Amino acid sequence: MKAVFGTVGRWTLVALGAGARVSVLIVETVRWAVVAPARGLGRLRVRSAVESFVEFGVHSLPIVGTICLLVGVIIALQSSYSLSQFGANRYIADLVAVGALRELAPLMAAILITGRSGSAITAEIGTMKVGEEIDALEVIGLNPIRFLVVPRFLAMVTAVPAVTLVAMFLMIFGGWFAAVAIVGVDSGIYISETLRALVEKDLATGLTKSVFFGLAICWVGVYRGFQVEGGAAGVGRKTTSSVVTAIFFIILVDLVFTVLFYFM
Amino acid sequence: MASNDSPIIEVRDLTVSFGELRVLDGVGFTVARGENFVILGGSGSGKTTLLRAMVGLQEADSGQVLINGEELTAMSGEERIELRKRIGMCFQSAALFNSMTVGDNVALPLREHTRLEESTIDIMTRIKLELVGLEGFERYLPSELSGGMKKRAGIARAIAMDPEIIFYDEPSSGLDPIVAAGIDELIRTMQQTFQLTSVVVTHEMESVKVIADTVCVLHGGKVVGIGSLEEVGRSEHPYIQQFFARRPNREGSDEVEFARSLAGMD
Repeated sequence: MKAVFGTVGRWTLVALGAGARVSVLIVETVRWAVVAPARGLGRLRVRSAVESFVEFGVHSLPIVGTICLLVGVIIALQSSYSLSQFGANRYIADLVAVGALRELAPLMAAILITGRSGSAITAEIGTMKVGEEIDALEVIGLNPIRFLVVPRFLAMVTAVPAVTLVAMFLMIFGGWFAAVAIVGVDSGIYISETLRALVEKDLATGLTKSVFFGLAICWVGVYRGFQVEGGAAGVGRKTTSSVVTAIFFIILVDLVFTVLFYFM
Repeated sequence: MASNDSPIIEVRDLTVSFGELRVLDGVGFTVARGENFVILGGSGSGKTTLLRAMVGLQEADSGQVLINGEELTAMSGEERIELRKRIGMCFQSAALFNSMTVGDNVALPLREHTRLEESTIDIMTRIKLELVGLEGFERYLPSELSGGMKKRAGIARAIAMDPEIIFYDEPSSGLDPIVAAGIDELIRTMQQTFQLTSVVVTHEMESVKVIADTVCVLHGGKVVGIGSLEEVGRSEHPYIQQFFARRPNREGSDEVEFARSLAGMD
């Protein structure tokens, strides 16, 4: 019993410590991204942010797009399995459209970008830390948050929603394709049913979530990167942990927003 | 050496601990303007920690570091950035930014801290690289350079902003004797050409003989000897004598110490 309390206490302390450090990271990021440039202290590294946006967003489009297209096909066929029993195959359109916008497109995009770029952020910053490059930045008088974190932060919070938008469209397209070509729903009915089912709030919900997914991916990636100690093995460990932690927080954020929007 | 000047660096009673382990224990000394100040010590003597504390990469538990009379240990983030524009540092691993070319590495401080035209920065970068013997290597990536060349590129980056002080962490470690001698010579040249003050951490006696104006011997987190190489060499201190004579620890006493540490006696 004592051991249980001891363990819970230790975990709480670790969690509080991590929470405090992440808070500092968040405050510093916002300070260097918004406050400092506005006051003319330290330019924003716009070019670096654009390069990161291309890497996180544009380069992830082929894989995110393909996967979301296939997921669209899968949901259409899976929902037909139940709906056809009621002769209600036209409602595949509703399920696919609402599911894609509110949940699946933001989630798939975020998880794939975590795997591609969240891990890369950790590995990059971790390697720089091991190689004394972070120290070198400091000695040159360049704040690592401003120099490394802010461009990635700006890129990530814009890239995830942008990719999500494309993912939404492709998922619905996948659903349309499966419903029309495999299940045999009339194309016109499917499209009009999709348009009828969707309201602006669905899009807003999905995109709001994806902004926060982007925040989670970026800050977890950066935090794990700065945690790296002890060479290549350390980089590997923290990179793995970065992906797992980010996906955990993505699901957590998803849950919080789903509950919130449920009551709104 | 302008000995009548006030010291450019002053370290007062500096103490740094990692958990229970006291790595620096009340270290104090002054560095005169324009001299090559060598911090000499064995592995684990705290010399790298001392260097990191002198540039503010390591927070001190107590004590002060004064650079040009300004207290580094009490500075805010912005003040530190200003100070760091006037110092340069070469890391043990050179710590070049691997994603940038050698030219961009050297140009980075200029691009970030000055409003100079890109063409001016280009010329300055080329001059700095020429000074360290790397002319024509602007477009190479750090991974394409040898160990000695990386160190040279690191020195070029450190002098990019024309600093007053340059810190070297183990500049010749891991290099063959010829390349190491070249780096030693370069450190001398930097000092003589630009009246730079250099602080060099090393454990290599051969380098010390070439570059040191003042030697400060660090052992167990304390300064055990300071002065010119001849003065320190005459010291009666057993560790200094052992270090200078390159004698290993005696097996016997080591075993006794080892047994004592196991038994928790000290």
